Amino acid sequence: MFDYNFHWRPVFKSLPDLLEASLTTLQVASLAMLLGILIGLFLAFCRLRNDGPLYWLATTWIELARNTPALFQLFFFGFGLGALGIHFSPYMIVLAGLTFNTAGYLGENFRGGFQAIPDTQLKAARSLGMTMWQAYTRILIPQVFRIIYYPMTNQFVWVVLMSSLGMLVGYRELTGETQFFASKTYRIFEYFAVTAIIYYVMVKVILGLSKVFASRYFRY
Amino acid sequence: MIKKLISTIAISVFVTSGVIADTLDDVIDRGKLRCGVVLDFPPIGYRDANNKPAGFDVEYCKDMAAALEVELELLELTWADRLPVIVTGRADVVFGATSDSLARAKTVGFSIPYAIYYAQGIVNSKSGIKSFNDIRGKRVAAAVGTVPEQEWLKIAKEWGEENLYQGYQSENEVFLAVAQGKADIGITTNTAVKPISDQYDTVDPGPRMPWTTDYTSVVGKRQDISWLNYLNLFVTHQVRSGRYQELWGKFVGGEAPELRIPNVMY
Repeated sequence: MFDYNFHWRPVFKSLPDLLEASLTTLQVASLAMLLGILIGLFLAFCRLRNDGPLYWLATTWIELARNTPALFQLFFFGFGLGALGIHFSPYMIVLAGLTFNTAGYLGENFRGGFQAIPDTQLKAARSLGMTMWQAYTRILIPQVFRIIYYPMTNQFVWVVLMSSLGMLVGYRELTGETQFFASKTYRIFEYFAVTAIIYYVMVKVILGLSKVFASRYFRY
Repeated sequence: MIKKLISTIAISVFVTSGVIADTLDDVIDRGKLRCGVVLDFPPIGYRDANNKPAGFDVEYCKDMAAALEVELELLELTWADRLPVIVTGRADVVFGATSDSLARAKTVGFSIPYAIYYAQGIVNSKSGIKSFNDIRGKRVAAAVGTVPEQEWLKIAKEWGEENLYQGYQSENEVFLAVAQGKADIGITTNTAVKPISDQYDTVDPGPRMPWTTDYTSVVGKRQDISWLNYLNLFVTHQVRSGRYQELWGKFVGGEAPELRIPNVMY
């Protein structure tokens, strides 16, 4: 049935290009994650207000980000806005799509994190004479990060893996580069097998580093 | 007893190792031809007003199933799927305007050419592209895994304009990108230019690309010579019976290109 002969030589020849593309993947994923955290925090604050235009803005964002496929969101930033004459480069489409999606998920994570901290802490901080800003940045947010650190790591892994959707809007990150070489040499299995290993190693390294980071900064 | 056992095993190993994949027999036994086509390539492969697969390649699939007296199972493919689908045995044959490049022939088997095309651009009406040299400095789009993509990237490399290239998963996305102005020119095949420029107000026919004529062949398993022979015979029968001209006239219009390659015995 399966009479395919594997040829690995072309893959090894283009390994430097694949590794370079994996850096591109990491770069766009890291930036999307960073922006996602900032916007996610903002969305969480808006959601905690429970009313007003900001609450509804955040709710709409989160509902759309979490309940529609990530690919649709990418296509929206690509072809959807394109129809209105707003053109993003493939890089910007991927960055915008991933940030939109990640911010939505993280917004809910942060909200959960804030709600897990007893109200009394904020009151205690305020009664000690801290301003609202001080109370949040010194008392609440550090605890929220501790609570949602592992879900956040999960989210980062998700962003790294989902950046592969960039291939569909013409962005040459790791998967896009793999498909490019695969379609040039037609050694499709070989290329995707090696790329799967690169993704696996990348994610393992991220998880390993995040454990080291957690053991240093989030020790009880 | 042991001798008997060993000889039985030896014989069965000998017999089974001699059995090779024979797609022709498999198709006849199965009673079904699994035929791959690309449906974002009007008028060669597309979906008609009723959303049914139609076009030159689709008719070729139907004709082949009829010739084999079996049912037809059409498989809709993307451009990049055309080879993997054969290698993994998901399709028996692919009619997908597949250029018979030597690089591809290392992976799959090709019949003699069954249709001939050349590469041509479709341009956004505001792009100002009239001739091939006008493409310098413009954003160029093509479908990933196609010959136009690979040929264009050679030129883009020479011009130092690889960063202006956009690769899309399907020709439809290329057409949309050009129509929306995300790309200035999309590289496609001459046969697709008219239907697409008729469909979009913002798209005009563009210049012809400088690379050679695209000889496209039917794709089958590389190892299966008897199946490839059958595909060759099918192509010649389509021409001899006048069906080739009939279908070309119906879908593309005009005289069907001669499939003979000058100065070559194929």
